[in-house]
Amino acid sequence: MTDAIAVHDAQLRFGQTVALEGVSVSVPQGTCFGIVGESGSGKTTLMRAMLGLQRLDAGEIRILGTPLQQGRAALTRRARIVQPIFQDPAASLSPRSRIRTLMNEVGTVLKEPHAATHERLLVILKRLGLPDSVIDKYPHEISGGQARRVAIARALLMKPSILIADEPTAGLDVSVQGDLLNLLQDIRRAQNITLVVISHNLAVVRLIAENAVVMRAGKVVEIGEVGALFGAPREAYTKELLAAWPSVTHAASV
Amino acid sequence: MAISLRNLSVDYSLPIGTAHALRDVSLDIQKGEMLGLVGESGSGKSTVAFALMGLLANNARVTSGTATIEGRRFDLTRPNATAPLRGRGMAMIFQDPMLSLNPVFTIGTQLIEVLRRRSPASDRKTRMAQAEDALAKVKLGNPKQRMEQYPHELSGGMRQRVVIAMALLSEPALLIADEPTTALDVTVEAQIMREIIGLRDRIGCAVLLITHSLGLVTEHCDRIAVLYAGERLESGSVRDVQRQPGHPYTRMLFDCEVPIDRERHADAAQNRFTVIAGELPDPRRRPPGCIFNGRCDVSFEDCAKVVPGDYPVAGNAAHAARCLRLVTP
Ligand SMILES: Nc1ncnc2c1ncn2[C@@H]1O[C@H](COP(=O)(O)OP(=O)(O)O)[C@@H](O)[C@H]1O
Ligand SMILES: Nc1ncnc2c1ncn2[C@@H]1O[C@H](COP(=O)(O)OP(=O)(O)O)[C@@H](O)[C@H]1O
Ligand SMILES: [Mg+2]
Ligand SMILES: [Mg+2]
Repeated sequence: MTDAIAVHDAQLRFGQTVALEGVSVSVPQGTCFGIVGESGSGKTTLMRAMLGLQRLDAGEIRILGTPLQQGRAALTRRARIVQPIFQDPAASLSPRSRIRTLMNEVGTVLKEPHAATHERLLVILKRLGLPDSVIDKYPHEISGGQARRVAIARALLMKPSILIADEPTAGLDVSVQGDLLNLLQDIRRAQNITLVVISHNLAVVRLIAENAVVMRAGKVVEIGEVGALFGAPREAYTKELLAAWPSVTHAASV
Repeated sequence: MAISLRNLSVDYSLPIGTAHALRDVSLDIQKGEMLGLVGESGSGKSTVAFALMGLLANNARVTSGTATIEGRRFDLTRPNATAPLRGRGMAMIFQDPMLSLNPVFTIGTQLIEVLRRRSPASDRKTRMAQAEDALAKVKLGNPKQRMEQYPHELSGGMRQRVVIAMALLSEPALLIADEPTTALDVTVEAQIMREIIGLRDRIGCAVLLITHSLGLVTEHCDRIAVLYAGERLESGSVRDVQRQPGHPYTRMLFDCEVPIDRERHADAAQNRFTVIAGELPDPRRRPPGCIFNGRCDVSFEDCAKVVPGDYPVAGNAAHAARCLRLVTP
């Protein structure tokens, strides 16, 4: 089966800064893929490149076998296949538009009547545990956790086959982060969506992803199946990251 | 006892009413000990720190509370109660180091200012040497050169080291660190925690580590206090509390943590994350009975009516929790 996403030897510089160097990753369809690494390691840049929002200096990215193309028409076509959930959902929602307006835009892209989009939206909101009333709210009127759900709802409304989430639980309390992660896992399984999760939380990635990549300074440090990557890391840097992770030990061993 | 905080209650006045951010919170920290104060965001952790430091917002009012620091008693309901201790007896590390640093002065100038306040008699040369020494102690490379730099020339982790160096120079009896590593990468977080522990061991101060990370608490703290909606629901040694949480909230918080060694299950349905359903109660209206009742998974009839006291857990006087189950046969 063709990979959902295949990045081959991606190269990108911002002036002197090496953002991506020789990055190759492939994400099999229907799997969850984790991207971990410290800030500035190139995670968001790789995501933007996968979405076609960031041109590479060299290298190639294929989405379901088709090379990424630039331009507006290609972008619109791709929006129906790959959907992002950006790190700061509140900031990616326009402050002066109600959530409703944002959702209607999706219908316009899909050339779907507003009534039909609305119908689907109600189903998705219910699924995400959001009250229908959020539709009439402005972004500042909803909580951080709700804003993330709204961003997921909007992404799902596009009926994508691939979702890429940048730090979906950053800033959320541990008591609520699980809710969002369980939700992403459920959606993924129910709709056979390929999920890419960027996270600095190694323990979370270990649990939800089949495969993951550890990045540092724009390069791939180590890549592979999570059991091996976290259970028997080969690279010193991966070991260092794992050792630094402040983790609660099992109560039985204290 | 280095630090003892008793019955701290703080209100915030809002256009829509009065929010009770803290209700009778008491904490004790021994010299050389680190107490982890944990709780979800909005539970009142920073309010504890600000009340101790005298940094509360204008709309805040301390309605009760005393602090005893190195034998001196302070009535926290008085404005600027702890002012005599600021910069000497107490130091604070914020999540954002820029709250402690002045962008227009060099690192050197700011460190020397701390020393000047502490020991006005010493000369500039001695202070320079002490400041450089402090930077070296917190493992900031090229201390001589750093003295000449401005905060914006340093990374977030380096700035936090400078703030720790400032705290080191002020030799406080109590160091309060409010989410000091939340904005940092894990490897830097581990280094910063090492420097905070190094500081504590050098000057033997008490440390109040405010964090939402139980991982940090179990790795570094001696004792833990669990705050929920402005009330302390449990306190005890980290070991005792982790082994046998006396409050369901504490147990649920620990259950939400994902251990780094938890392996992915082949059956995807097994890879679930634990959640605490529900939300913090409205800070303007305390529900009757136990404050956690609405989210508790083992509550019974009385929990909605009777306000629990602090009961010992497993007969251990140093481990207390505010749960009726502890006194219900
Ligand atoms: N638009 C941009 N212009 C200049 N530099 C950028 C830009 N976007 C990212 N960078 C740089 O590229 C590197 C990788 O950034 P990023 O992908 O955001 O990392 P991460 O998401 O892992 O924190 C960083 O050094 C960052 O400063
Ligand atoms: N200046 C303020 N005015 C009104 N309410 C405030 C103010 N500061 C904090 N609060 C409220 O007090 C409660 C505790 O806040 P805080 O101490 O910041 O909690 P934490 O640090 O645990 O996240 C929250 O409900 C918060 O919204
Ligand atoms: Mg990023
Ligand atoms: Mg806080």
